[in-house]
Amino acid sequence: MIRIKEGDLLRLASMLGDMGYRVIAPTEANGVTKFSDFSAGTGIDLDYIRAINTPRDFLLPDGERLYTYRSTATVTSYGLKIRFPTVEGPCPVTINAEYSTPSGRIAFFAIHPCHANAIRYLDRVMLSDPADPYYKARRERSLIVVLECEEGDDFCFCVPAGSWKLDDGYCDILVRRSGDEFLLQPKSKAGEEAASKLNARAEADLLEEKAPKMRSSFSISTSEEMIDRCESEGLDSCTLCAACTVTCPTCYCSDIEDRFHLVDPSNVERLRKRMSCQRRCYSMIAGGNLFIKTKEDRYRWRLKHKFPFSSKAFGISGCVGCGNCIAFCPAGIDMRRTVGRGFKT
Amino acid sequence: MRADDNENPYVPKSATVVAVKNESLETKTLRVRLYKWKAEFQPGQFVQLLLPGVGEAPFCIASSPSDQKHIDLTIIRRGLVTIASHYMRPGDVVGIRGPFGRPFPISRMLGKDLLIVGTGIGIAALRSLILFLADHREEFGEIDLLYGARFPEDLVYRDEMKNWGEKMNVMITLSKASPEWGGLRGRVTDHLDGVVKRESQIAILCGSPLVMRSISHELLRRGLKADQIFVSLERHMKCGIGKCARCLISGGWHVCKDGPVFSLDEISLEAIGE
Repeated sequence: MIRIKEGDLLRLASMLGDMGYRVIAPTEANGVTKFSDFSAGTGIDLDYIRAINTPRDFLLPDGERLYTYRSTATVTSYGLKIRFPTVEGPCPVTINAEYSTPSGRIAFFAIHPCHANAIRYLDRVMLSDPADPYYKARRERSLIVVLECEEGDDFCFCVPAGSWKLDDGYCDILVRRSGDEFLLQPKSKAGEEAASKLNARAEADLLEEKAPKMRSSFSISTSEEMIDRCESEGLDSCTLCAACTVTCPTCYCSDIEDRFHLVDPSNVERLRKRMSCQRRCYSMIAGGNLFIKTKEDRYRWRLKHKFPFSSKAFGISGCVGCGNCIAFCPAGIDMRRTVGRGFKT
Repeated sequence: MRADDNENPYVPKSATVVAVKNESLETKTLRVRLYKWKAEFQPGQFVQLLLPGVGEAPFCIASSPSDQKHIDLTIIRRGLVTIASHYMRPGDVVGIRGPFGRPFPISRMLGKDLLIVGTGIGIAALRSLILFLADHREEFGEIDLLYGARFPEDLVYRDEMKNWGEKMNVMITLSKASPEWGGLRGRVTDHLDGVVKRESQIAILCGSPLVMRSISHELLRRGLKADQIFVSLERHMKCGIGKCARCLISGGWHVCKDGPVFSLDEISLEAIGE
């Protein structure tokens, strides 16, 4: 364990930048906290409870380019076929897809334990066979500095969700605020290497994770039948804005689409865009068939994906209890009423 | 990096359209030849077809697994990619990813009597299996193929049905037949009486969700057990490898990885869709 001052902790962030990491840190702007690229001189919000975006937005960026290729032809919506000449001359006889996997190193600075557990969930999804090459390349070279919470806000429920504990490999340095000072505990080799540059004297005792104080206590129990039977009261105010899935640290549903270069339309990119189960097109198949029709069904689908489906497919719950879907819902829909046993507002 | 260098599951491999066959007014079969690679597929698996400049969509392979240099895809005009596929000509380049998914349970079907029910374009997902069964006819018991469509113009594989009829009992029923139609009339569920009779029968279904549900319901009512009934489901898979979560169904299954073929004891009837 290392005891340091706040200035030293900020120095650690810029030192990570000097070590070649792209440092992602919480910064405050316009009254909300947001993870963004840290550069020396910008402030870090070390007192935040809730951030509007999550590490997922950096590990699985929206609009990520999967590959590019040269298209010889396209079909317009009117069914007319246009053949584009390519810049290189004659049309290629194969699809010459070109791609590159991301190469930089990412350091997540001062994320909360729930965010670290969200990364653990995304690892289960994205690294299961066959692994997603883009996510894997980012994740292999990432470093996680976890800042513990002392107390949650009205929407937090990481203690019922069990996500205040950290698994091995999901925390390189654990940080806890202790009055004016911060306690640091390197938990991996990369973390030790970074912490050693602070030149602070190490103390003998070990820093273990501590559960934050919660304002509500309940237990989570779910099954598909329970979610199907849940009351639909209050759900009609849902505006289908998809804020719950946009701010969720574990939502990973995506859409893959072609994008043309405006000047040279034979230059096509395939992009992975974020998709939300709250949208109509999520479950649409050719011909217009929908599998998830009403907003009540979409709300239930989101919860089913988080709890029973994730437990079945990945052996781990997809909800880390960050409370973002409740805090940022403009209609005030609270999923704890559906999944929380003994939950009282 | 070039696609051939590394195994990136998102990057398609090249293929060329070598033949386009009109099956019906709305349906065409594209025969694509794989360019410098072979697809090791089994009946029931699907591929992702990339039309350059249009997009990608999943299609069940409709050709015999004995020829792994070619893939047949029978496509009905319904959406962006399917309509564009009808403008493909021999010589056009397409991208193929796959094969993906769990195939039909051939090992469980060996020696058993089979009931294959396809409706509408669902027959395309079954053609690979039918051709496989015809090639290995002596390894299976009695085979009944029940194919339902609405209008006579909707029937696909019309010229092949005669060949199939030599190997198995082929029944074609039309729900909106014209007066001159000489075959069976009505829905497929009206003609199950003669073919559902045996204890050790395996039923394979593919069609629209509603039809699959009503057929499954009828088969269960007639005494078939849930683990004897297999359905091939349709969802719009975007990635094919379980990363986009677009093909999740009730029970937490990914249609792309765990399916598209499911036995009814794995999924509920509701999971098939409405």
